[in-house]
Order: sequence, then C-alpha cells, then structure tokens
Amino acid sequence: MGQPGLNRRQLLAAAGGLAVAGSFGFAALGTGADALAAGAHTRVRYWNLFQGGDGANQVAMVDAFRDGHPDIAVKDSTLAWGGPYYTKLAMAAAGNRAPDLGVMHQGRIPGFAPGRLLDPWDVDLLAKYGVREADFNPVLWQRGIVDGKLYALPLDIHVQLNFYRKDVCEKAGLLGTDGRLPAAGSADEWFDILKEAKGQLKKGQQTLGLHANDQNFCWWFFVAFYGQLGGTYFDDAHTTVTFDTDKATRVLEFLRKHVTDGYVTVGEADGEAFLAGSPFTWEGNWSVPYFNGEKVEYGAQPLPPVFGTPATHAESHSFVLPHQADRGGDGNEGAYRLAAYMVTHATTWANGGHVPAYLPTFEDPAYLKLAPQSEYSRPAMDHQANEPHIWFAGSTGVLAQRVGPIVASSNLGSAAPDAAARRMRSALAQLLAMKNPMDGRTAAQELKGAGA
Amino acid sequence: MSTLAHARTLPPRTAVAADSARARWSRRFQHGGWFVAPFFVLYGLFVVLPVVRGLYLSFTDANISGDHTGFVGLDNYREALKDDLVWDSLWHSVQFTLYVVPVIVVVALLMALIAHHTVHFKWLWRLCFFAPFLLPSAVIGNLWWWLFQPTNGMVNHVLGLDTPWLTQKSTAMLAVVVATLWWTVGFSFLLYLAALQNIPHHLYEAAELDGANAFQRMLHITVPNLRNITGLVLALQVLASLQVFDQAVVMYQFGPGPEESTRTFVQYTLEQGFTSYRVGYASAISFILFIIVAAVALGRMWLLRNREEVATR
Repeated sequence: MGQPGLNRRQLLAAAGGLAVAGSFGFAALGTGADALAAGAHTRVRYWNLFQGGDGANQVAMVDAFRDGHPDIAVKDSTLAWGGPYYTKLAMAAAGNRAPDLGVMHQGRIPGFAPGRLLDPWDVDLLAKYGVREADFNPVLWQRGIVDGKLYALPLDIHVQLNFYRKDVCEKAGLLGTDGRLPAAGSADEWFDILKEAKGQLKKGQQTLGLHANDQNFCWWFFVAFYGQLGGTYFDDAHTTVTFDTDKATRVLEFLRKHVTDGYVTVGEADGEAFLAGSPFTWEGNWSVPYFNGEKVEYGAQPLPPVFGTPATHAESHSFVLPHQADRGGDGNEGAYRLAAYMVTHATTWANGGHVPAYLPTFEDPAYLKLAPQSEYSRPAMDHQANEPHIWFAGSTGVLAQRVGPIVASSNLGSAAPDAAARRMRSALAQLLAMKNPMDGRTAAQELKGAGA
Repeated sequence: MSTLAHARTLPPRTAVAADSARARWSRRFQHGGWFVAPFFVLYGLFVVLPVVRGLYLSFTDANISGDHTGFVGLDNYREALKDDLVWDSLWHSVQFTLYVVPVIVVVALLMALIAHHTVHFKWLWRLCFFAPFLLPSAVIGNLWWWLFQPTNGMVNHVLGLDTPWLTQKSTAMLAVVVATLWWTVGFSFLLYLAALQNIPHHLYEAAELDGANAFQRMLHITVPNLRNITGLVLALQVLASLQVFDQAVVMYQFGPGPEESTRTFVQYTLEQGFTSYRVGYASAISFILFIIVAAVALGRMWLLRNREEVATR
C-alpha cells in the first residue's frame, strides 16, 4: 500500500506529458508535410475543384509539370466542388491564407469581389511564360476582365451535351452514314427520335436522362434552350428585368413534355442508367472520361437546336490568383508557371472532355483525333448560351439556387409552365434588387461604379 | 491517517514546514478545477466564443470576406421576420420533428422490449439495432438516395411499387423521416434498454404473485418506470430534430427537394451564409432557431420542475 497513489500520479503525469508531446509532434508533422521536396526552392499551393472524370486527368498534368520543373514544389488540394469550394476560397482569401493559385468558374468572378478576394493577373508576366491573349478564345478572355484588369485566365469551356448510345440508335435506324446522330432541328424531330429509340428498350428503362429534379442541371438546360430562342434576362444597365415569360414558357413546356410523354423517369441515376442501356442522357462534358471508362459505344453532340438556333449551356473553368497581401516573389511566379503550363497543354486537359480555351490546341492532330470531343467541341464553342454576367450568377451560385428549383417544379408537374415562368421572372426581379453582400451595392450600382 | 501518525513522530518544526509546502502545492495544483479546465478552455473556444461572435455578427451586414461591414441594428431580424423562406424552412423543420419524434419513441421502445426479453442472441439484436447509428450522415444520405431510386431502388423493389419517393412533395419528407429513423433510433433504443434493465425485478415478481398478466405488468410497471427516460428521449429528439440538416441535404443533393419541400431551417441558414455570403443575416436567422431551441429546452425544465413539485407535495 502507499505505492498505488504515487503510481496513479506518475501515470497521469506520463499520460499528460505524452498528450502534450503528441500534440507538438502532430504540429511538427503538419509543418513537415509542408516542407519542400528535395531540390525545390519554391512552393506553389494550388486549389482546384476537379473531382469528376476530369480530376484524374488534372492530377496527371500536375505530375507532368512537377517532372519538368523540379525546382517548384506544387502542393495541390482538390476540394469538393460547388458552394463549399467557393466558401473555402473566399474565407482563405479574406483571412490572408489564400493559396498561390486557384480554379474558379468564370461566371462566379463578378460576385467574388475581384480586387479584394482576387488579385489581377500581370499580363506581361504571363507573356513571359508563353501566355498571350491572341492565342485564346476572345470571348472567354474578355469575360475574365473586370475594370480593365484580367482576373480569370481561361482554361476551358464546359458544355451540356446530348450523349447518345450508338448501339441503340443504330438498331432504331437513327444514325447517319457517318455513324453519328444527326442533330434534331425542331422539337417534333427530337421527340420522333426519342420515340424511335424508345421502341428498342425494355420496359422500365428510361429513354432520356434529363436530371429533371436537379436544380443545377434544370437551370443549365433552361439557359441552353432559352438561349436558342434568343431570350435575355436583364437590360445592359442591370436596372430592369427583360426576362421573356412567353419564351420561358415554351422552354418549360418542352422540358416538361419529356416527363409527361414518358421518356424520363424522374429521379433516376441518369449517368448509370445510360451505361446500363438507356439511349440518351444530357450531361456535362465532364462525363466523357467516365463513359469512356466503360465499354460503351457512344457519341456526344450539343443539346439539340430544337428552337432553330443552335446554343448549348456553357461555363468556363479559369485560373485565378486568390488575394494575398504580400503576393509576389517566387511562389507567385511559380503560380504563373503552373497556370501557363496547364492552359497551354490543353490537349491533355481536353481528354477530360472540356473544350480548350487555348486556340492552338485546335491545330494539334492529337486533339483532333479525340472522340467524342471532335464531334462537339467546335459547335459547342461557337454556339454558347451563358448565364447573365452578374454578381449572383455562375455555377452553383445564388441564381441557380433560386431559379433552378422553379424549373424543376415545372418539370415535375407541380407548377404549370406559364406559372413557373412568372415565378422565375419575379425571382430575377428580387435578385436584381438585392445588394451584393460583398460590397453592399446592387447589380446596377456595381455597374455604375465600374463605369465611374 | 497514516501520514498524520507518521508526522507526529517527527520534530514539530520540520513537519510544519513540509506540511505547509505540500499544502500549498495541493491547493494550487490538486484543485478539481484543473481537471475540468481543458473542457472549459475548449468549450469557451469552440462554443461560447462563436456564439457571442455570432450574436454580434447578427447585428451587422457582415459578408464572408469580412470587408465592408457595418452595424445595422435589428435590420437582419426585421428582414428575417418578413422573409417567406425563413418561415417555410422553419415549418419544414417543425414538420420533420412532428413526424419523426413520435415514431422514434415508439419504435425505440419496441426494439428495446424485443432486445430485453429475447433469450437467444441478445447481443445480435443490440448490435443490429445500434449499428446504423455509427454511420456518418453522408453515408446515410447516399445509401437512402439509392434505396429510394424509382426504378432500381430496393424500397420499390421490395414493396412492388414504382413510387418516386424523392421527387414528389407528398413523400419527400417522409423519405427523410424513414432514413433518419433507421439511422438514429439506435440511440433512443439504448436509453430505453438501459432503463428497462434498471426496473427492479421484484416488482414484476410481486405483480405476478398478485395475478397481474403480461399486459397489466407492462401497463402498470414498465410504462410508469420508463416515464423519466421517455421524457429525456422526447426532449433530446425534439432538440435534435429541429436542427435536422445533413441527411436531408445529402438525399436531395444540396437542393431544396421537390417543390422546395425539404429545405430545412439549418439548410437555409447555410444557403444564406455560405452561398449568398450574407454572414450577418445567416447569424441572425440562426439565432432565431437558437431562441426556439432554447425555449423548448427551458420549457421542458420548467415542466419537470413543476411535476417534481407536484410530486413532493
């Protein structure tokens, strides 16, 4: 006796000591992970959101960059895409812990406080590493400019496509002599195609994957067809809503008809259903590597120009410099070199399905051979339907969050198309009157501020 | 005692010196406060501080970048009271609570009775009932998203239906309730099981001797003895259910569900704070939920105290 008490204290002391030592150890480990690779003297921290089929492709490109640039240690982090990614990027930039290089959708730039959360690109420094405006898709380059400064260096265009299975379409006699599906020029033609294909299916299989209840896809498809009708959202001064409810109603009726005519099973896992034998699915081009990984013969074309003028929804990935108070030096230059490498090695990037923003890629024979990219990239690039260029727009932004569910409710039949169109219009009016929380100004005030 | 006896044999002065040194050491370092200090430090850092800061932010128009913020007084609260989506989403959370709480209480009790009274494979019952509780909410959301698929989903397959569970308003919240029940009932089950095991066996013996049948024993012994635990389960479930968020958000893929029928209050707070970047406004509406939840908790305490007072009178 007498000893156990002492032992207990020793034990507690030892445990406490271990815990403290352990936490220091972990702290040390944390810095250890940040340590530079042997031989490298510059570290570039790079954040991106490529989780889909394009993700593996991107990792391969970063690895190739590492091999060619042993003096630069790239510390890349792939984060979950969508709202959470932008939250993290914004908070990192606000807290002055931003990565050296980041990826953003171009549509999100106006709402992301360029100048405060984002630093502009030094165009001369870009030119030093072989990036010149003349080599880029002019529309995309211009869209990255705010107040005369380049904030978004365009990497690609990603579009919504009509993926079709060649086996089913062939059996239905739908393919042309070139083995491709001819684009439907009207809604009637399109529904005829669906009808023919449906004849080849087993009971219970859906004909088209429409993501009918997904707010993002709903909104993207709406933008595409509304764009085909030449519809607009706001006037140039961003003071009035110019949304045309008649045109919107036509689009919503068209989308709804897929459900009422039994071509779409609402809530189906569309990509998987396509691989399992469903003949059509509307998806982003990022699904190309996913579908390529399976033994499926398929083609991909822009969404059918059912309202006459071809147009399909397009967004763009771009490289940005998240705000750092002391941006400059080797880390900054390393970020420029990495971004320059990524945008100019666009053939590899295009393997992931995206349409490159770097135009010389279109002369690269290796790129032209890529299938199904060669089928859609040109027409998709030339006929883009974009979201309005305004602070609340952009991939998974407030606009999609407010308006997407209205399109979905029309698809699902809980709101009549014309009523849904009116609701969309009033939602747009609300957003236009709303102040951008980043600067406390409405869209119109922001525009005036920019001009002043 | 032994140290005192030992001390008496030592010369008085050294004993006093040694004792006072040790006493000082004891007073300083052997105080119980040191044991709870780590908790209080973490609690202050990760609970109290954010709550206080959140309250401050709710009176500002703070955005996520921290810039351009000014004091706006009660503007955020005034806006919230007029914001239809605040009330819609609050109603969805309340709706969820009304559906899920009674079901969980009844099912958990039934499961506890089964596990308590079975003779064979007791451990297996307990394991089966409790295991889902260990899964993370993201897994639950995805799992049930697949189970509720219209054509390939197991739910429709087993029931021989083709109900689009997740895409029509009438079943959307029900689907979340079912998933939540499967996921969290294990916790309440465990509480009930412990309570059942705590009921003294002699009560049942006495009742049996008096000729009470199984149903009467259940009604007059088991149920009254489970009253306190039922109150606890109810309170915990209500508080947790009002804050429903993760499983619903995953099942509806961060969307608001069909006809915006599953957007919960916490989800709307997230949307405001982290998609619209209105941190000030999001703080204000989360304080509205805080007030509601606190009112429920205080209401329960008040009820309990009243009941105890009645009981002691």
